[in-house]
Amino acid sequence: MSEPRRLTSRRLFWALTGAVLLWTLFTAGQGWDPLGLLVVTAATLAGAWWTPLWLRPVRWHALPGFGLYFVDRSVRGGVDVAWRALQPTMPLQPQWRVRPLRLPAGGPRSLLVSVISLMPGTLCAELVDDELVVHALAQGLDGELDELERRIARLYALE
Amino acid sequence: MALVLAWGLILMGAGFFLAGTIGLLRFPNVFSRLHALTKADNVGLGLLALGLAILAGSPWVALKLALIWLLALLAGTVSCHLIARYALREQGGREQARP
Repeated sequence: MSEPRRLTSRRLFWALTGAVLLWTLFTAGQGWDPLGLLVVTAATLAGAWWTPLWLRPVRWHALPGFGLYFVDRSVRGGVDVAWRALQPTMPLQPQWRVRPLRLPAGGPRSLLVSVISLMPGTLCAELVDDELVVHALAQGLDGELDELERRIARLYALE
Repeated sequence: MALVLAWGLILMGAGFFLAGTIGLLRFPNVFSRLHALTKADNVGLGLLALGLAILAGSPWVALKLALIWLLALLAGTVSCHLIARYALREQGGREQARP
């Protein structure tokens, strides 16, 4: 089997777009000297080479909604855990939840693991082929996790 | 007015860092401590970045701060998962987590 081509014009185009945007941001639009060009060229080649060959497409119009949901939940997560830490009685009911994994591997699963650890009271400890092991600080957080799975499925057009 | 808002956000952010650290010291085990650290620091850094962006008054700095927050968020949640996974495997893996 031949090695799939990594430096196609399409991949280079997207890597170049990303590199130019990031470099513009880092240098406040002032960095277009020879060093800057060198950095952007290197970043473009590296990006096109190492980006996974197949990325699951995202529904772009669902992205702002997911972003808002994420900010809302992660702020609640921070407030919740700060409140628990500062209460004199420290209300904690640490427990494990083992859940079946429904989302496919790749982007959706990575996103699930990343977001779980920032949501109120949940933390992802283990991810095996068919199961997800979540540590929870309180009871009754399964509904939150179901909701998160539904939203990720919607974001990736999987439902 | 903007100054008051900015400093309010910065102080609130520092408060979250403080609460996260108190949680780190008070919570009973490694998993509960990770909750405190990751979640409180994420919100704390977000508020801090927001306050500093207002103080800086430059869209370039604001965008850079937003990017820093995003990258710290990503690094925080990934390292949290990796530490939790390591700790769980040390304690006997997921069989031990089964109710």
